[in-house]
Amino acid sequence: MEISHEKQGDVTIVALAGRLDAGATKAAEDGLNAVLGPGAPHLAIDMSRLEYISSAGLRVLLVLAKKVQQANGKVALFGLGPNVREVFSVSGFDTIFSIQSDPAAAVAAVR
Amino acid sequence: MLSFAEEIVLLLLDDEKGQFVDMPLSSIDVVIAGAALMDPALHNRIDTDLQRLTVTDQTPTGDDILDHALGLLAKAGDGLTVSAAVEEIATYGERYKQQALDRLVARGILRQEEGRFLWVFHTRRYPVIDDQEQREVKSRLRQILLSDEIPDPRDVVLICLIDACSLFDLMLTADEMKAAAPRIEQLRKMDLIGQAVAKAVAEIEFIIRHNTAAIH
Repeated sequence: MEISHEKQGDVTIVALAGRLDAGATKAAEDGLNAVLGPGAPHLAIDMSRLEYISSAGLRVLLVLAKKVQQANGKVALFGLGPNVREVFSVSGFDTIFSIQSDPAAAVAAVR
Repeated sequence: MLSFAEEIVLLLLDDEKGQFVDMPLSSIDVVIAGAALMDPALHNRIDTDLQRLTVTDQTPTGDDILDHALGLLAKAGDGLTVSAAVEEIATYGERYKQQALDRLVARGILRQEEGRFLWVFHTRRYPVIDDQEQREVKSRLRQILLSDEIPDPRDVVLICLIDACSLFDLMLTADEMKAAAPRIEQLRKMDLIGQAVAKAVAEIEFIIRHNTAAIH
């Protein structure tokens, strides 16, 4: 599991790569907490290099979404591959998250 | 904090009568089995995806229900689907239910009362003597169901289990149930073990209804 991030104005673009499963939750939580600074976070999460997500991975994203909501911020996802998108659809996570087609749409959605 | 098996046993008990709500025993076993799987899932001891359930860490937790369930899953191997895992663990649902009841009595949350029905049949009741934690849980879940607040993973599990038992009508008024229905529909899917539990309970109830109709 790799996490990287870059700033684009007031929006942080976070890229997740690899497998987000039970073995990766600690690294993922630490990496995502690191981008949550003081104030309202505006996050666009690039999932295009995320190969696999399990229930444990979904829980990491749910906790992130809750923190962002509590801080009056916004989060959007983009670049979901077919496997990850299917997991989001079956689990209903696609109704919790704003899922956008490309980086520009995700950045616009969280501004 | 209570385990999910303890939480769901409490929710399944009628507070005043101290007896389990009207629900097929096999459905109760399935729901308790699901609860016994959800604790190790939230502790990252097991993981699930759309195809299967995997034991990721067999280290004992010190909780006899969880450790027994983990042991069964480890023995079964990684080929189990989530539904098959729930079925496997449900075989021990009655045992887990009794263990959870004993723990709740030991913690002073329930009281065990022995009695007789028609002076002959032995009965046992579990009246609630300390409902503070349950009131807090129900209040938090009502807040989530009646707002757009994002639930935490623990709340999602409880929502899935309560929905599988059709117990929301004991927590919400008729108007609240109507208002919360789309929200319950949204959140009930968010745990894959919860989905398997709900499916198994629906199948049991379908079979019972079908067989009852055939008898009549």
